[in-house]
Amino acid sequence: MSGHRLSQGGLIDRSAPLKFTFDGKPYQGFRGDTLASAILANGVSLVGRSFKYHRPRGIMTASSAEPNALVELREGARTEPNTRMTMVELYDGLIAKSQNRWPSLNFDIGSINQLASPIFVAGFYYKTFMWPKAFWEKLYEPMIRRAAGLGRATHEPDPDRYEKAYAHCDVLVIGAGPAGLSAAVTAGRAGARVLLADEGPVLGGSLLYENEEIDATSGSDWAQEVVAELVSLRDVTLMPRTTVFGWYDDNIFGAVERVADHKMVPGPHEPRQRYWRILAKRAILATGAEERALVFGGNDRPGVMLASAVRSYVNRYAVSPGRTAIVFTNNASGYRTSRDLRSKGIRVAAVMDSRKDAPKLDSGGAPIVAGAVITRVEGGRDIERVAFERGRGQERLECDFVAMSGGFNPNVHLACHRGAKPEWKEDIQAFSAPRNGSRFVAVGAANGSMLISQCLREGAEAGAQAANEAGFRSKAAPTPLTKDESYNIKPLWWVKEGSSKAFVDFQNDVTAKDILLTVQEGYRHVELTKRYTTLGMATDGGRMSGINGSGIVAEATGKSIAEVGTTTFRPYYTPVSFGVIAGPFKGHHFQPVRQTPLHEWAEENGAVFVETGLWMRSSWFPRKGESDWLESVIREVKATRESVGLCDVSTLGKIDIQGSDAAEFLNRVYCNGWNTLEVGKARYGLMLREDGIVFDDGTTSRLGEDHFFMTTTTANAARVMSHLEFCHQALWPDLDVQYVSVTEQWAQMAVAGPMARRSLQKICENVELNDQTFPYLAAKEIKILGGVTARLFRISFSGEHAYELSVPADYGNMTARALMHAGREFGITPYGVEALSVMRIEKGHVAGGELNGTTTATDLGLERMMSKKKDYIGRMMAQREEMTRKDREMVVGIRPVNQNDRLRAGAHILSKGDAASMENDQGYVSSVAFSPMLGRWVGLALCKRGRERHGEIVQLFDGVYGVHLEAELCDPVHYDKENRKLYA
Amino acid sequence: MRIRCPYCGERPSEEFTYLGDAAPERPLSNEPSSMDEWFDYVYLRDNPKGVMQEYWHHSGGCRSWIVAVRDTETHEISSTVAARDFAKGRGR
Amino acid sequence: MLSPTSLDRSLPLKRHLKQGRYGTVSADGPGVRLSVRHPLAIATIIARKGQEDKMSALLETHYGIAAPQPGRMVKGKELVLQWCGADQYFAITEGRGEGALYEDLRSCLQGSASVSDQSHGRVVIEVSGHKARALLTKGSAVDFHPREFPLEAAAMTQMAHIGVHVTRTAEDSFELSLFRGFSEHFWEWLTEQAQEFGYEVV
Repeated sequence: MSGHRLSQGGLIDRSAPLKFTFDGKPYQGFRGDTLASAILANGVSLVGRSFKYHRPRGIMTASSAEPNALVELREGARTEPNTRMTMVELYDGLIAKSQNRWPSLNFDIGSINQLASPIFVAGFYYKTFMWPKAFWEKLYEPMIRRAAGLGRATHEPDPDRYEKAYAHCDVLVIGAGPAGLSAAVTAGRAGARVLLADEGPVLGGSLLYENEEIDATSGSDWAQEVVAELVSLRDVTLMPRTTVFGWYDDNIFGAVERVADHKMVPGPHEPRQRYWRILAKRAILATGAEERALVFGGNDRPGVMLASAVRSYVNRYAVSPGRTAIVFTNNASGYRTSRDLRSKGIRVAAVMDSRKDAPKLDSGGAPIVAGAVITRVEGGRDIERVAFERGRGQERLECDFVAMSGGFNPNVHLACHRGAKPEWKEDIQAFSAPRNGSRFVAVGAANGSMLISQCLREGAEAGAQAANEAGFRSKAAPTPLTKDESYNIKPLWWVKEGSSKAFVDFQNDVTAKDILLTVQEGYRHVELTKRYTTLGMATDGGRMSGINGSGIVAEATGKSIAEVGTTTFRPYYTPVSFGVIAGPFKGHHFQPVRQTPLHEWAEENGAVFVETGLWMRSSWFPRKGESDWLESVIREVKATRESVGLCDVSTLGKIDIQGSDAAEFLNRVYCNGWNTLEVGKARYGLMLREDGIVFDDGTTSRLGEDHFFMTTTTANAARVMSHLEFCHQALWPDLDVQYVSVTEQWAQMAVAGPMARRSLQKICENVELNDQTFPYLAAKEIKILGGVTARLFRISFSGEHAYELSVPADYGNMTARALMHAGREFGITPYGVEALSVMRIEKGHVAGGELNGTTTATDLGLERMMSKKKDYIGRMMAQREEMTRKDREMVVGIRPVNQNDRLRAGAHILSKGDAASMENDQGYVSSVAFSPMLGRWVGLALCKRGRERHGEIVQLFDGVYGVHLEAELCDPVHYDKENRKLYA
Repeated sequence: MRIRCPYCGERPSEEFTYLGDAAPERPLSNEPSSMDEWFDYVYLRDNPKGVMQEYWHHSGGCRSWIVAVRDTETHEISSTVAARDFAKGRGR
Repeated sequence: MLSPTSLDRSLPLKRHLKQGRYGTVSADGPGVRLSVRHPLAIATIIARKGQEDKMSALLETHYGIAAPQPGRMVKGKELVLQWCGADQYFAITEGRGEGALYEDLRSCLQGSASVSDQSHGRVVIEVSGHKARALLTKGSAVDFHPREFPLEAAAMTQMAHIGVHVTRTAEDSFELSLFRGFSEHFWEWLTEQAQEFGYEVV
């Protein structure tokens, strides 16, 4: 509880105090703080509990790699679990809660898991709960899930908006530290389109907290000057608060911009986050390096922090984590921290350097203990002292916080997302970014260059090269003057001298001993170690643990760390919210919705809409007093069959096909022939797939010698269009044929029933409708309503004397209203797709249930359509033995023996007396409807040798609905078998 | 992934629909003796690790079918050509 | 008897087109202006096999403009031609009677191209203003930087999973043409994305 705010310094705005609460207690911080720095400034060190052992945990880093300090941010619908305190910018009114603790953070029952820790060793999931098997689901798993875990997600819908966007640039610079700023400004000066992204709110990276001098100004002032210049360049875009999370094929980068995460609630027209897809001609990785933790007893206790994080809190946020520090290091970073602490008047009890032959470095006056390792951190709630060894037995020294540095791991992840493995560099004892060619180069610390001068130079060089390769000319500029401090690291993977738990993966509670055990048990490959121990599988993606893990595996297996390598780096670099992945495409906008040109008319008539494909189709039109959909549908069918009905069929795919080879093209894509179709006539067409299965059907009309108008089913409209394009472009480019979708140009309506002709006649201008001018299958252009050019087709899906009328879409509503007016004396009735479906089943017309991707033309009873005179798609494969077998399931009508029984689609057909088994299966019911005309349920089925079995009584079995009833196989045409009504 | 449409230039793969191997050629004969050729055309596909010719449809763009030469291991596309030109090159 | 002269074509987006200012209000005015061009005469022209040159020459004779190159559009006195696919173009004009453009093109192209009327099938939305480009980048992967997509460039692309034909008609002005059935859905998406810039429906 000894963390405190320093009286001066830092990049915080002391004139802007901000209030916030943590676990219900009020605190205060300043603008410029993170939640982590503010809570430290208030003397709070315990902020969470670990995943498995529920050990107390504090803040370890000041970066996005934070493994411990995860909290639930915000409340209610905006609750965000597992949020890294180090990445949360403080705002007034912020509310955060600790997680994975019960009943409270300070007293947590789950921490008894620690006492049982022998059973929680590596692979315990696989070992401990093996038996009895039935206990797993009921007992073990729920128990483990309750005991182990992170925050809880809210069940309320997210009230905020998320966006997606694309960006294009000549040069993408990832990271705005010294290397990134240097790269961006060099490329920007050359005139290149530059995007500079950084995960922090302020650009500058390590310059914001390191005591560096560049060209005789402080590092943070230098950064500000460069940022000001970048802002002045027209084609440079700065993207603070933006994490580039993945590198994908062809130099596409994924990034999340946290537009409003730093506010309590986003502004009124502001998204919370934006998901960017960035296409970069050239990209520069300037992500710096993350400090490595040291692995020693009690290294997870609140108050043990990375040495660079201590510098960040002290210098940038003016917060000291405590009163007395001990620094534990194997490189120069610890000395830097010691100096910075001392310069702020904070006591440093000692710098313990694990290197026996440590070079003489400036600790700012703190005592240096060479060749020493901390074996154990001791204390009660707070750290009181450390135990250490330097070859004289165990010694102790008092402190209340520990700054550790095990060296630095270049942040190479993005450069490895497309398969390249990072390269081991002996001199820095770390994996550095692989070479990926000039389209994506690493600079500065990400490239393993640990000196400030190297960072600035490499950045400038890469920026210049990238701009030049993108077609610009960059001018050389002098490299700024800096003072370098040599890095000089000697690896220390694990302090073996201690006996208490030494953590490698902090969030998942994986200790050095877990890794040893894993290696002993034979999981020697680092990828296996990872999966067996869960090392590196926490939300920090192994950034704090992976390399130490590799180092320990290397020691345990006697291999070099270069041979052991790392686990595979995959996106996402840091966690990405589901909300931003979905973007605006959720709920109503999950997929596009299409409206027909008759939508307004349908609404006026009270339609109930159903989404089919992307279309909103009118399903039925309920009237007052009707109790359910079936009642409405029965009325619609009766009205149509007895007088006249009007149905919106605009969703049918419509394709305008022209060209001197148009008929030949149709010959090849349909199985039936088109040469003999007269101008002014329509014909039913059947399309097969190349494997001989039926693909689609519809009517196609000949409007001119070389002009056809094709219709497709609603469901297959897009597929048929793509298929035609493939057939023409890839198979027969020699054909002179042109085709274009005109689905949206035409509003199309079916006018069906005995009074259809008389209703239609009233709106026709120039034609007398009769069986001579408009016989069955006539297809002609006419004028209606005082001059609107329409197309009239005498075709019928309902089996009635019927027409389909096409008018240009903007006239659709007007025409439908005019028809309603014209048919009023006959009681014209709007009908929807439900009634349409009932009528087609009554008539035995096949549709979706039968054109289901398994049936042949023969199965559907349409074998006579397959021409023998021409080549067409599917001809040869349709002749295969299996496709022509006599006992295939084919379309047959079906009706219950008992008139009152209800049919259900999906019920299986069994021969009378057979048991319900797979062997006895004869087929299934594919479509059913209650026939208002026959007063009973009727259906279509796909049944083995169906056509020979008309009249046979079979059993229907439906295990889902528990249906077992007798039915009769029959002619598929249930109603008006002689087609009298069609020609009436 | 980016694919160069011969008409529209480079576009992201989201604008395209994948069909598959462009190597098989549709047989010309309808004679029963050609059945084996048809089987090969409809069903037989190589699945190389490395370079293959593939049909892609610029369905979210100009609606041209194209043939891309793509390395299935690296996703690198070394060339693209309009399917109509590819077919003409085969004498179609 | 009803007649088309007494009844206007119904506008697909009419229930959404309420003039006014929406979204963020800023001193320098709305970032985006949105309007719908309606009614328009639109036809698809596709050259017949081997007739591309003849078609282009006939267009030049009758309208003073040849067929544009892929990815381009060209403006004539009474007609705009926009590339929209291989040997395929949109012809667009305003103020012509119903079907007149279609009939006109059919007769003047003398069988060198197939013509299909699309006047009612597409909705054309004009997007202009200093944030117009920023708005489009929320939908399409096309690079709308003036270097890459200059004045009179044309592209078929997708925005919000919907096929859109985009043309640049001025430095800060674009036209988006799409199937009418998607127009309401597209409008909802477009205006939501425009909110942060502030937009005006004109």
